[in-house]
Amino acid sequence: MTAPYKRLMKLVHWTVTFLLMVMMSVPGLWVMLSSLRPNREILAKPAVWIPQDPGLTNFISIFGLGDEQVAIPVASYFTNSVIIAVTSTFIALAIGLAGGYAFSRFRFRGKNGLFLTLMLLRAVPGIALSLPVFILWSKLGLIDSTLGVIIVYVALNVPFTIWLMDGFFRQIPMELSGAAQIDGCTRWQAFWRIEFPLARSGIAAAGMFAFLTSWNEYALASQLTRSTSSKTLPVGLMDFTAQFTIDWAGMCAMAVIIIIPALILTFLVQKHLIRGLTFGGVQH
Amino acid sequence: MRRLTIFTLGAAIIALALPAPAKAQDYGSFDGYTLRVKLIGGAQYEPLYAEIEKWESMTGATVDIISRKNHFELDREIKQDIAAGSLNWCVGSNHTSFAPQYGNIYIDLNDAIDKDVLAGFVPLTLEHSTVGGRLVQLPRHSDVSNLFYIKSLYEDADNKKNFRAEYGYDLAPPQTWEEVSDQAKFFADPPDFYGTQYVGKDEAITGRFYEMLVAEGGQLFDENWNPTFNSSAGVRALEWFVDLYNAKAVPAGVANYLWDDTGLGFASGTVALNLDWAGWASFFNDPENSQVAGDIGVIRAPKGSSGKRTGWSGSHSFSVTETCDNKPAAVSFITFLTDHTRQMVEARKGLLPTRTQVWADAKKEFQANNQDLLVQVFDTWQASMAEDAFTPPLIPEWIEVSNVLWPRLQGAVVGEMTAKQALDEAAEGAREVMEDAGYL
Amino acid sequence: MLAFGRLEWLYEPVCLMIPFYRRFANTPVLLLSPAVLIMAFVVVIPIIFSLYTSLTPYRLTRPDSLFTFIGVRNYVRLFGNEDFWSAFGRTIIFLVIALNLEFLLGLGIALLINRLTWGQRTLRTLMMFPMMFSPILVGFQFKYVFNDNIGILNNALQALGVTDQAIPWLVDKNLAMFSILFAEVWMSTSVFAILLLAGLFAIPRDPIEAAKVDGCNPWQVFRHITLPFLMPFAFIAMTIRSLDVARAYDIVDVMTGGGPAGRTELLWTLIARVGYDNARMGQANAMAYVSTILSLLFTYYFYRKLMQARRYMGGAQ
Repeated sequence: MTAPYKRLMKLVHWTVTFLLMVMMSVPGLWVMLSSLRPNREILAKPAVWIPQDPGLTNFISIFGLGDEQVAIPVASYFTNSVIIAVTSTFIALAIGLAGGYAFSRFRFRGKNGLFLTLMLLRAVPGIALSLPVFILWSKLGLIDSTLGVIIVYVALNVPFTIWLMDGFFRQIPMELSGAAQIDGCTRWQAFWRIEFPLARSGIAAAGMFAFLTSWNEYALASQLTRSTSSKTLPVGLMDFTAQFTIDWAGMCAMAVIIIIPALILTFLVQKHLIRGLTFGGVQH
Repeated sequence: MRRLTIFTLGAAIIALALPAPAKAQDYGSFDGYTLRVKLIGGAQYEPLYAEIEKWESMTGATVDIISRKNHFELDREIKQDIAAGSLNWCVGSNHTSFAPQYGNIYIDLNDAIDKDVLAGFVPLTLEHSTVGGRLVQLPRHSDVSNLFYIKSLYEDADNKKNFRAEYGYDLAPPQTWEEVSDQAKFFADPPDFYGTQYVGKDEAITGRFYEMLVAEGGQLFDENWNPTFNSSAGVRALEWFVDLYNAKAVPAGVANYLWDDTGLGFASGTVALNLDWAGWASFFNDPENSQVAGDIGVIRAPKGSSGKRTGWSGSHSFSVTETCDNKPAAVSFITFLTDHTRQMVEARKGLLPTRTQVWADAKKEFQANNQDLLVQVFDTWQASMAEDAFTPPLIPEWIEVSNVLWPRLQGAVVGEMTAKQALDEAAEGAREVMEDAGYL
Repeated sequence: MLAFGRLEWLYEPVCLMIPFYRRFANTPVLLLSPAVLIMAFVVVIPIIFSLYTSLTPYRLTRPDSLFTFIGVRNYVRLFGNEDFWSAFGRTIIFLVIALNLEFLLGLGIALLINRLTWGQRTLRTLMMFPMMFSPILVGFQFKYVFNDNIGILNNALQALGVTDQAIPWLVDKNLAMFSILFAEVWMSTSVFAILLLAGLFAIPRDPIEAAKVDGCNPWQVFRHITLPFLMPFAFIAMTIRSLDVARAYDIVDVMTGGGPAGRTELLWTLIARVGYDNARMGQANAMAYVSTILSLLFTYYFYRKLMQARRYMGGAQ
């Protein structure tokens, strides 16, 4: 291949990549930009492309610090979201680790059937579950409690976590922990010393998926939460829609508050992510 | 207007004759009691809740707001509570259109609230709050729509001249829906400017169609609950919407519009005429939010061909559950939230009071503060609340009938079927709903 | 289905050295019981209950109607329900188009990013940006983008002189479906891209080098080596996505609510309206059951494909 041709290809490559990335980030960036501008500018026609007077007014007013009376209890929504997402992620990881280990290291009858059943249970649409779960939860006093939401989110995340972990443990040669056990470790010790550290990337990837699912879930949370004692950020987003109005500026500010923790987490985990996702795609 | 004056006078006389104001201030004592409530949330409802503290300090009770959501979500939640038997709260926000669905979960307030307190409310509003003879809710503020318009468009000499030449009569804020149609087409210059707009989905378009149907002389049902909205009046009513859509006098996206879209659309200064709720007035007139601030006119909702004005109306309200463990406290709380002082708080935001006296006092205050638009808004809306307002049929099946109706209305608007076809099909569906519910 | 009796260790010799009680003869039971319990509690019990309600004329606002048994009447009614079947068909078309588009776009993005030598990490994070958006937020965002009057898309098109019309993105017969598809694809392509990128990273170099030596052109290498290797990853992504497609409910509900005139009505919006707004939970749960079966079939199909692809690659499952 000639050099100019190669250079042309490189240019095409860059341009296409750039355009795709623009497509993927512009709608989101527009939301972030809008969080810094007043409603008048967001809704202007013809559009005002460059913020004339950017500021943090929207953030100040949703925290109830300004003179506008749109105090939405963002702080307690945030706390609830963090508690719910973090706790349910950790529990789902623990259950998923145990399950994935069982599937990858033991042979038992009905194994494939059980594995598939767990996956299929996850595929039941939330809308089919929402009312029965609600009735069950209200009998158990779990409505409007963070615990009630945590339990549901654990169930949402367990199947996928098991799957990821199963695939990941499969990649770790069994001889490794076998050798450790011969050296006098118990199976438990062998797990923590050998398999767990090797599976760390997989755990990070599974944890990130579980966290993002819990952090962003809306449909079920909107049924199970009611007040500031359990409402999460995505549910709180609806506070900006009254019967007749949507406060876009406030909503965009809230959106940014939802996105930033997810962004930080993704950035931190992303080193492990690629490695963590190569799970069991192919066995060697 | 005259009927209204009589109401006002009547209420004023009652207010003078009885030492009611002093008595109304006594909200009892419920020391240590925690009242569990579910309230409608959202920017325009919140200022009232800032007053709750005062009731708490007056009565010694605590208010625990266990839910605060918009009405559609609240509706879903209340239905879930009925299903799960978990009505373990005392006070809930309610709405006249939704109330009939809930059966007997709320107490009859006629037995619980003094007659002279109830006498302070606009009688028609109380009537709308009554389901099957029971006053299941105490109205908080009312909704009815009137027409906002951009004033300068009507003052422009070129517009006047051209309109006269094209339509043969003078350009002035419209008195009939036919005039609205003419003027909307005249002003429209898509995609930069539109003549008018309407909400195009959910219960919103059902309501708009319904009021147009009434203004055209039709009705949804006959006296035996047979659907009759596919009459010629119904077709005329629906064709008004279709015609404007085809003429591109309304934004092409109207079929997906709800209240926020129409409100924000008018505030963006790209719509000439906008039938909307009074609650928007302050927003429209706020230069921070709106491009048409200072250039707004309001006029009473126009008439249909039957000479009747449109006036689909409803009221936000509060109800007390039958399962409440301390009904006197709950009743005290909702009486407090709808008393004169509290209604003044809401009226200042442009929400329409349900107490006769508040109409007068709020208007007086606006006049004193030179809030001309609000004065005009209150004049216009007071007239339509007293003379034009009507509710949808107060039956539990209203929302279900609406869900049969609105997709067909949309179908006609976007040209998938003719108005007649759409209404015939919807009537068939509505008949099925009514049959299932045992009306037919 | 579950019988742990005939348990076999995968590495017998090791076990033999450990006393009997240490063998944890019931270890898989212990390890799996939390997972089984929580799924039973949150999913199995509720769907059994909803199966029962689908056999009653249950109305939310009339709790006593739960005890009237009407057999399969709700299901029989479904067969004659045109609205339901058109939503059903639309949902299938929606899923097929969305999943395929997400796969193709995800593949494209993964291939492009894989070849970058510079700035790859930043682009990887950028690529995952949409994953951080809550579906409900995606709905609001695109409702605003596609608004015909004040939306930024029409504003941009008009400013650039592409059109002087206000394009009714959320109303027009085809555009409305396109708009919700776009939102769905925007939100979910990242999942495909990241998984396929992981797959690309894991491709062994040897077969590719060997093929190049044998004179294969890049397309042949891609077609016969890269793509088959990537397919398990693609099916993993498809399976994950089909587990979670009902998330699209949030988007559609916010953007169009299924309208106008039912043009974007999917099963989930229809079910929510019948069940909650109309309070006809019995009827809604019959619909939900049919849609659950649809979800299960999709998931099962991709799962089978995944297993086949893995076997094809020579790995045990």
